[in-house]
Amino acid sequence: MYKGTAKARFDASGIEAGDTIRVSKASQQYTGILMPRPGIGDPSCAILKLKTGYNIGIEITKETLIELVSKGEPAKIPDAQAASPAEAAPAAGFVSFIGCGGTIASKIDYRLGAVNPAITAGELVSSFPEVARITPIRSKMLFSVFSEDMNAYHWQQIAYDIEDQVKDGAEGIVLMHGTDTMGYSAAAISLMVQNPQVPIVFVGAQRSSDRGSSDNRVNVMCATRAAKSDIANVSLCMHGSSSDDYCYLLPGTNVRKMHTSRRDAFQSINRPPLARIDYPSGRISQVSQYARTRKQNAGMMKIAPDMNQNVALVYTYPGIKPDIFNSLSNYDGVVIAGTGLGHVPTNANSDPYSTSVMSAIKSLVDSNVIVAMAPQTIFGRINMNIYTAGRMLLDIGVIGNGCDWTPDMAFVKLMWSLGQVRGHAKAKALMLENVAGEISERIELEQ
Amino acid sequence: MTKFKAGLEIHQRLSGTKLFCSCPASASDSKSESQVLHRYLHAVKSELGAHDKAAEFEQSKSLPFTYIVPSDTACLVECDEEPPHPFSPGALFATLEVCSALKSTVMDEVWVMRKNVIDGSNTSGFQRTAVVGLGGSIETSKGVVGIQSVCLEEESAGIASEAGPAGRQFRLDRLGIPLIEIATAPDIVDFEHAKEVAYKLGMLLRMNPSVMRGIGTIRQDLNVSIEGGTRIEIKGAQELDLIPQYVQNEVARQSALLEIIGKLKASFPDGDVELGKPVDLSGLLKSTECKIIRKALDSNGKAYGIRVPRHNGLLGLEVSPGRRYGSEVSDYAKQAGVRGIIHSDEDLKKYSFTPAEVSAIVHELQINNNDAFIIVADEAARCLKALDFAAARLRMLYVPEETRKANPDATSSFMRPLPTSARMYPETDVPPFRVTGELLSQAGDKAAGGLPEAVLERLKKSLNEELAMKIFRSEHLKLFEELVAKGHDPATAAVSLEDTLVTLRREGLDVSDPTNSIVPALEAYKDGRIAKSAIPDLARGLCAGMDVQKAIVSKGLEKISGKNLDSVVMAQNFDVGAIMRKYRLNVEYSELEEALKRLKK
Repeated sequence: MYKGTAKARFDASGIEAGDTIRVSKASQQYTGILMPRPGIGDPSCAILKLKTGYNIGIEITKETLIELVSKGEPAKIPDAQAASPAEAAPAAGFVSFIGCGGTIASKIDYRLGAVNPAITAGELVSSFPEVARITPIRSKMLFSVFSEDMNAYHWQQIAYDIEDQVKDGAEGIVLMHGTDTMGYSAAAISLMVQNPQVPIVFVGAQRSSDRGSSDNRVNVMCATRAAKSDIANVSLCMHGSSSDDYCYLLPGTNVRKMHTSRRDAFQSINRPPLARIDYPSGRISQVSQYARTRKQNAGMMKIAPDMNQNVALVYTYPGIKPDIFNSLSNYDGVVIAGTGLGHVPTNANSDPYSTSVMSAIKSLVDSNVIVAMAPQTIFGRINMNIYTAGRMLLDIGVIGNGCDWTPDMAFVKLMWSLGQVRGHAKAKALMLENVAGEISERIELEQ
Repeated sequence: MTKFKAGLEIHQRLSGTKLFCSCPASASDSKSESQVLHRYLHAVKSELGAHDKAAEFEQSKSLPFTYIVPSDTACLVECDEEPPHPFSPGALFATLEVCSALKSTVMDEVWVMRKNVIDGSNTSGFQRTAVVGLGGSIETSKGVVGIQSVCLEEESAGIASEAGPAGRQFRLDRLGIPLIEIATAPDIVDFEHAKEVAYKLGMLLRMNPSVMRGIGTIRQDLNVSIEGGTRIEIKGAQELDLIPQYVQNEVARQSALLEIIGKLKASFPDGDVELGKPVDLSGLLKSTECKIIRKALDSNGKAYGIRVPRHNGLLGLEVSPGRRYGSEVSDYAKQAGVRGIIHSDEDLKKYSFTPAEVSAIVHELQINNNDAFIIVADEAARCLKALDFAAARLRMLYVPEETRKANPDATSSFMRPLPTSARMYPETDVPPFRVTGELLSQAGDKAAGGLPEAVLERLKKSLNEELAMKIFRSEHLKLFEELVAKGHDPATAAVSLEDTLVTLRREGLDVSDPTNSIVPALEAYKDGRIAKSAIPDLARGLCAGMDVQKAIVSKGLEKISGKNLDSVVMAQNFDVGAIMRKYRLNVEYSELEEALKRLKK
């Protein structure tokens, strides 16, 4: 937004973004289309798009000469924020694309320099012609949220919509999602949609889709292949390496974003990938033992979306103070991302400089807050039997011993367990039960 | 002389770090451990639904690009695995200095744009580029030449022919190196003037210490148009001396094309050049000795021909020295991957066609007296595509707007269609840079000291005219100024950097890095360890890998001065000739003179 002198001068001359104007500065004249200002930079500078396509910034002062050359067309504000109803079901054997946010496909408005989502079935097909060759599709925008703003409410909407799509005859589901918390969503849907009778595949793009280099194309094609395959799991499909050679289909219960920006940011934790999908051939290989077939899941799909969001996830660290745990007394559940095998400072050796947080945690447990342990190393299994700190935590009632879940999954599962059943004891039991493969007795040695 | 308009675009690499990350901007390719990436690039839809024609042109190929990623000159940013970092302040400041020297008006806010490029030369699918200054001018002997813009942008990846299929493999060493682009107005008045403008701009850039030195670090592109013709961009006119020729040849080429077009318009009054359909000539030519066709047929390819009505004699008309109208058409055909075309205006005997074969072709294609034909041989799909492209070119009864590649013989060849209005949109990952008045005046002050005239004046104060000009033009100018600042004798430094280095290079020694050879020798001289005359020999020793002390000792270059010099003078009986014959490399003549004077008393 323009501010101050620039805004005043434009308003006075009836000039708006999209108009062609002429600005004079230091005996030079610049003619171009006035661009809207984004929220960064100096709001007193006018951004002009020149005929060459370049944008320049010219400071507007009281003395700057400004002239309106011609009015522009009003900028088309994309109404992609509104949800769209599902289009009519196409031919049988269709894959349902559900938009949850993230722009998996977009169009560039060079005139205004805007990037607009391209999310209808028609737009998806023209952005990804390879998809149309594999399967008929149906597309809808469920909601468009930055994934860091998502929470259990959104996950529930996704679960209900998946149920509807399957009822309508979808052969597979592809969920287009922002990458920041896509792992959390996959964890949640793994619990909320059990024994899926069709593949449910989360997909995103690490490079925004307005770029020629975007990983969207490879990811979407592989996700579509996965949606048509016989791997009836909740999964996540993203690049398997920095090259465009193949994607991995990663298990929804054990997937995490492990890099801020790389294409292959998503990794499978404590599990092998469900499968490898080559590009451009679409060939599926290395299918793991954790893959379920449609036949195996037939008739067993269960939707269980209830969640109790009153759960906190706390990352412990050297010198953590007990008062942090005290402040969580109003929560129904707390997941601690502990160090090593599942530890917090307990000061077992009575060091004069160390502070134990044990009594604070004990207070939580005693007031019926379920406290569960998960590893801040991300990888590996919790084992609180080995060291004193662990044993002390077991003694005061911290659960999670023997679990190989990630902190993200433990957090999601605790919300889910507390939402599914009534009563503290039942919730604890459900938390420790292997519902969808999130708890496993075996971790294989990976290459 | 035909009236023409010409402008120049100079791209100059800067040293230091890359523009949007902290990798070193290196003049040569890395030899370090490298990894390889395979990537696809695709065209993105625009709001109007239309793709950029140039982009579509590139995407018709379906192989991935291969990128070699050297560990020391490329990071995640070059791999398009990490967002760009903010502008390198050094590069921006250097650009402000250049703007000041060109009197170009600097923008208050510099915005980086994305210019879509999907030919593989940018891993992100676009080039980041920003306008820093608009307007300006330089003085030349033939008047003032206007400057249209001064831009700061990233260099593209370099082609690595060893890596994979042709046209698809790149190295990331140079991707991201800052480039200053100076575009002049079309104010060039004659062919020689183009060279002068290029020279002056090159000199101005060289004065800036941030500029990268060495072969290939500066590139010149020419824009040429004539009345009735069109604007052509000729990329990569490397040799300064050939620039007048490039312009002249392009003017001539467009004139020649216009003449041909005139003739064609007469032959095709409705403006529609209707060509024959491609005819499969493989059967007819199955036993031909024509190498090109033989090769194709033997590898399961085909030979196709088309009739080009009323073009007899036109394809063979010369448009540039050594190039004909047929060459222009061939350039287009080659975009399909074929090696070239055969056309009827050529001497078909040189292809080993028999007269019978030629008759058969003429008959099969229904060629009459006024017609010409074109033949292509390769795998079938490529042939048809090649003829398609050739036909498209033949139908253009106008001079097409093209980006052309400068050839070493001062002609040019078609590279790709001139991009339509630049497909650019804001690079939102990089915040805009606010240029303050203070920064501008700092840059202005620094630039003033760096203007060519000022530098030359400074040099002439400490060097004779000839040496001053040598160093002024030298790639070692910056090093020279550093040495002088450190207290080295200017004349000695200049002679060593220019004459001595050349001598050593001619002897086959590796003098690519003067700081390993000449500079330590100069330091030894300055420190009084050797005489001036020993500098070249010491440098020779250093080139051979010796350290300074070892080289001095093994080559007998120890300086004789003080009491030792006095002894020598006495021992040689004040015979200057004898002393210099024996101790030329060890005695400083000025010290000898002084010693003689003193001792004679």
